[in-house]
Amino acid sequence: MSLTTRLIRWWPCLALAAAPAFAANSDVEQLTKDPKNWAMQSGNFANHRYSELKQITAKNAKNLQVAWTFSTGVLRGHEGGPLVVGDTMYIHSPFPNKVFALSLEDQSIRWKYEPKQDPTVIPVMCCDTVNRGVAYANGKIFLQQADTTLVALDAKTGAELWKIKVGDPKIGETTTNTPHVFKDKVLTGISGGEFGVRGRVTAHDMNTGKILWKAYSTGPDNELMVDPGKTMTWTDGKMAPIGPDSSLKSWQGDQWKLGGGTTWGWYSYDPATNLVYYGTGNPSTWNPRQRPGDNKWSMTIFARDLDTGMAKWVYQMTPHDEWDYDGVNEMILADIKVKGQPRKALVHFDRNGFAYTLDRVSGELLVAEKYDPKVNWATHVDMKSGRPQVVAKYSTDKNGPDFNSKGICPSALGTKDQQPASFNRKNGIFYVPTNHVCMDYEPFQIEYTAGQPYVGSTLSMYAAPNSHGGLGNFIAWDAGTGKILWSKPEKFSVWSGALSTAGDVVFYGTLEGYLKAVDLNGKELWKFKTPSGIIGNVHTWEYKGKQYVGVLSGIGGWAGIGLAAGLTKGTEGLGAVGGYKDLAKYTELGGVLTVFALPDR
Amino acid sequence: MNRLTKIAAGSAVCAFMVAMSGLPSAFAAAGDTAPYKVADGNKVDAQTLSGWKTWRAMACERCHGAAQEGMVGPSLVNSLKVLSKDEFKATVLKGRIEKGMPNFDTSKMVSENIDNLYAYLKGRSDGAIQPGRLQEIGK
Repeated sequence: MSLTTRLIRWWPCLALAAAPAFAANSDVEQLTKDPKNWAMQSGNFANHRYSELKQITAKNAKNLQVAWTFSTGVLRGHEGGPLVVGDTMYIHSPFPNKVFALSLEDQSIRWKYEPKQDPTVIPVMCCDTVNRGVAYANGKIFLQQADTTLVALDAKTGAELWKIKVGDPKIGETTTNTPHVFKDKVLTGISGGEFGVRGRVTAHDMNTGKILWKAYSTGPDNELMVDPGKTMTWTDGKMAPIGPDSSLKSWQGDQWKLGGGTTWGWYSYDPATNLVYYGTGNPSTWNPRQRPGDNKWSMTIFARDLDTGMAKWVYQMTPHDEWDYDGVNEMILADIKVKGQPRKALVHFDRNGFAYTLDRVSGELLVAEKYDPKVNWATHVDMKSGRPQVVAKYSTDKNGPDFNSKGICPSALGTKDQQPASFNRKNGIFYVPTNHVCMDYEPFQIEYTAGQPYVGSTLSMYAAPNSHGGLGNFIAWDAGTGKILWSKPEKFSVWSGALSTAGDVVFYGTLEGYLKAVDLNGKELWKFKTPSGIIGNVHTWEYKGKQYVGVLSGIGGWAGIGLAAGLTKGTEGLGAVGGYKDLAKYTELGGVLTVFALPDR
Repeated sequence: MNRLTKIAAGSAVCAFMVAMSGLPSAFAAAGDTAPYKVADGNKVDAQTLSGWKTWRAMACERCHGAAQEGMVGPSLVNSLKVLSKDEFKATVLKGRIEKGMPNFDTSKMVSENIDNLYAYLKGRSDGAIQPGRLQEIGK
């Protein structure tokens, strides 16, 4: 055991001795249990994006109308959504990462925070400067700025309490994720998989920002924070220890140092097991020939002890990625029946087009099925080895550099990107915003220069051929059997986080800018055209006896960039036939929060 | 060009235009000998091919679009009609940080191929070179 590890293991005891009142917990879990609040970006520790509120129902949703609106004053892509705690809303913007505290009583601005950030971060975030929202706990707001600064603000005044930098934009490290507060710790990640960044997660003391542990996605065992004899993975139909140097052995030479495996997704936490769950992104570069091996532990679900940081189990979804199928999407914790048996499950809709159901306690693989029938790069996931069975003609590694592999589904955008799904606790069904996009992928040799793009592949993307012609679907998914229950075609990718409620309504936004309400069968009940395309997530709360639903609009993000995939004039190899170019007929840039409610009677 | 894209790129392009107006160099390239050789739209000389490879390696299309028609970044088909070669080189090497254009002077590949990159993009801007994959003339 390394000295660091030893210190980290002792740390909770020291902290308990020093500050017994706050060391063990924060108020955020309690706040998320009151449906009047929306106290975490995902609604709760388990990433459910579900609300017990039921004033708005499938019957009356058609009467929804705008209650109020608020402009962030920022263009570009607006991801994430507003937090509501008591009588205050906290809302953020993309770079420059403004934060506003709004009074729910009269929508006045209680305070505004705008960090000074080095503008050199903008080019490194090429091509969009998104941010997935702030976190709240114990009277503090946590903001993860683009320039990798994690800052704590006084929720009452907006005053800075502490800040710490977790990366270096000069070598391509930036941040877009929300901070995650679990118990007394703030967890954050890193972006920059296209710049040869080495992914990791850091856990911080909520009160000081001090780093408590730091766990890398690639590299030697001590830096991975794994125990070769105790950290388990799915092996030959059962769980087995990963063994020594599991990551180092899966890379050639020192490539792991540029290995990617970034950590910009939606984490979750199970208090019963004290495990935190998150996924890691693509290995760098996008030219797979330059990094032979499985490239562990990129593309991996990690389950770590929240207090020690040590990994209990890992599962790599896409060994040796050849398509940019980052594994960062949300980890949803759900107690559901899987193949008839009640399970403490983890459900994950991966970029690679497979939806995985695992036992979240042990890490066993239970279900892995396609959640878009067009997925073609692999025939299936072999349930014994847990490995996808790659179709040779879609293997960009086998085809090699300077060969254009055509018709790969899904595209690098994934069957789903970060836009989080909703788990309806009432009926046990998942409602999933998806992409329906395929691609051509041509890798090429690339040299690494610190702080410069390290991609090494040319892509073109288009709507899935021989389908409905649209670029997205909104689907209902049974994670216990791995089956699509229904699929509602959308003209564009659904890049907005879904919300389901006890009123039997499911909400999601579209790239044209509609906020839509559907019933549990996918029937459209209502829609409203917001000022810009929606890549934000739908949230709900209650104030003075009234249920509200709010969403940020503001087109951009990779969806916005995806728009351009279809911009050319039909040139072979570039001329995407997809309908992204049509988006310009519907919407325009601009960050606005729109809040809805039922009319007063 | 996509309207969305145009707006995103708009402020940068406008800034370019304002900065460039009044400079005699702005339209000087017209009529000069082209810095590239091209056949059939997709076969070019070795230098221009290196320029395209540099474009590709630096992932320029992530901001400027696969066909250089602009996305978050401005259309280079337009920009190369108004920028002099020296202005182009300064923009690429030193960047326009506030607008999101990185400085590429730390890249050996860009520094060594800046003339070739100019030749390639000039050919795209002139409409002489097609977007997409290129090969060397006679190979």
